[in-house]
Amino acid sequence: MHSVTLILMLILALLMIIVGGATGVRAFLSIIFNFAILFLNIALIAWGFPALVITSISGLIILATTIFMGSDDDQITQNAFYSSVLVLMVLIGLILLLQPHLLVHGFANENNEDLEGMSLLIGIKFSDVMLATMMVSSLGAVAEAAIAVSAGLQELIETTPDLDYSKLFVHGYEIGKEIIGTALNTLFFGFFGSFLGLFIWYVKLKYSFSEFINNKIFAAELSMILIGFIGVISTVPLTAWVMQLRQRKQKEL
Amino acid sequence: MYWNKKVILVLSIVLMGLAAVFFVKNDAFLYQTPVGRIESVKKISKAVQIDNFKNQDYSVRQQLKVKILNGKERNRIITVNNEYTKSQATDLKYRKGQTVLLHLTRHHHQIKTATITDLKRDVPLTILIVMVIGLLIMMKSTGLRALLSLILNTILFFIAVEIDVQQEGSGVFWIFSGIAAVFCAVTLVLVLGWNKKMWVSFTTTMLGTFIAVAISLLVFRLTNNGGLHFETMEYVTQNPEPLFLAETVLGSLGAVMDESTDIIVSLAKLRKENPLISMKQLWISGRNIGKTIMGPLLNVLFMIFMADTFSMMALYLRNGNGWGYSFEMNMQLGFVQSLISGIGIVLTVPIASWLVGIFFKKGAVQHA
Repeated sequence: MHSVTLILMLILALLMIIVGGATGVRAFLSIIFNFAILFLNIALIAWGFPALVITSISGLIILATTIFMGSDDDQITQNAFYSSVLVLMVLIGLILLLQPHLLVHGFANENNEDLEGMSLLIGIKFSDVMLATMMVSSLGAVAEAAIAVSAGLQELIETTPDLDYSKLFVHGYEIGKEIIGTALNTLFFGFFGSFLGLFIWYVKLKYSFSEFINNKIFAAELSMILIGFIGVISTVPLTAWVMQLRQRKQKEL
Repeated sequence: MYWNKKVILVLSIVLMGLAAVFFVKNDAFLYQTPVGRIESVKKISKAVQIDNFKNQDYSVRQQLKVKILNGKERNRIITVNNEYTKSQATDLKYRKGQTVLLHLTRHHHQIKTATITDLKRDVPLTILIVMVIGLLIMMKSTGLRALLSLILNTILFFIAVEIDVQQEGSGVFWIFSGIAAVFCAVTLVLVLGWNKKMWVSFTTTMLGTFIAVAISLLVFRLTNNGGLHFETMEYVTQNPEPLFLAETVLGSLGAVMDESTDIIVSLAKLRKENPLISMKQLWISGRNIGKTIMGPLLNVLFMIFMADTFSMMALYLRNGNGWGYSFEMNMQLGFVQSLISGIGIVLTVPIASWLVGIFFKKGAVQHA
């Protein structure tokens, strides 16, 4: 078998197992599993299932796999999962509010070459597909930030026995500050990397500033980065809040 | 006193944000191209359309009254026809109150025809930008540093794109590898400060990224690009393979940096607290930190790379293509990009532990 995809998959699996042992195996499986979910997600949307419902379910499953397969500590993973679900709900609200004004769905003139010979009258609303794209694109970043904040706070709780839980919010904020800078960079470079060709296109074909800033694909990419940023930043207070609530409940029991 | 200051800060951020949004909402006078606001919408006709694959769609013709907001014809109301489909693949359904960019053709200084070229999208984008900047300002110094690094990196990115276009894409991989090093240095100085940890993180990030690219290039060569379709890359105006590699380097940079700073900051702290810690213990600790974050980090990139292919996938699947072919044409390159990034992220773990062992020498740390 001379397939680049398969060989690289094997190399990655091997490295993950050598470096991470059992955790490495789970990390690799989480990627494969998430891929299956994403593929099924788009196939179901193409079959005509409602995008918002399907993608919300996929979103929950992806958050669960990424978070629960990443760590063994139940406290950390549960808190991270609850808070990332809250963040996902905030983001869905934001996307639903903004998309009717952005109208970045479908294709632009820059896609013309790829659309040749295709029937565009597919009967599926591309605005629904875009909704799914926007929801999915920030899921990974939200899960990662939620795990990091939750792990940081858990460590604090365990090393400080007489911690004042009403101050968890302030501590979460301190821990979050360290995480935010690098998490934003991961998102930022991820997006810039995947759209390098497009930016070269804009400069090469001498787009004016107004053409560039209002361009459908540019607006779609920029809004996805920004929504991801908002997701990552709001992870910090929401995780602290979830932990505070759950700590209080555990104390009462 | 503390709360007072905070309330004033939040209020001034909100006010400045509102002012910015209000300004962009009324910035038509800055545009060279004609800008118009849709005053009324009338539906003229609707027709059912069925394509070769029995997909049922419809197309609607609408007549719009548009008020021109800038230029010599300001305040003139013109009639524009628009046609949209249910799927809205390349067309848009316009509503009353939206602002649009227009293309006008003139005859004897009179407007002859008018078409809408695109929607004016700067207002919702400004709202998002204002929200992000506001949230970052509220995080004080960390947020401001993050904001500074984002702005600096954006400027650097466009300079690199400009250089690439002037070179006509001949050295795209080298230009963007160079800029990746600069990005990395700038970002790490802002996150860690100018110190030994920053240089060790920098070296780790560069080594991790480029070893991963070297491994994948080797696989590409050995298999003769087995099964890869570089011709399916979108928005390509130059040789696709080096562009693909440049995209991969940039794309994975943030995640690899994240992993390496996490490991190095913790290990350097460990060595400082316990200068006699052995290389083996460092390796074990590095592994423990690294292995829990590598999966989530790779998922961050994976989601970004995959989500972008959804529209094309929907189109391919509805055009009677099988799952395998649709994957190959749309998702494969993003998938391979994720795999290469993943290799970089995993390699960072041993490289970081090893470099901390070398550069933070036993005992020497007490003097530093």
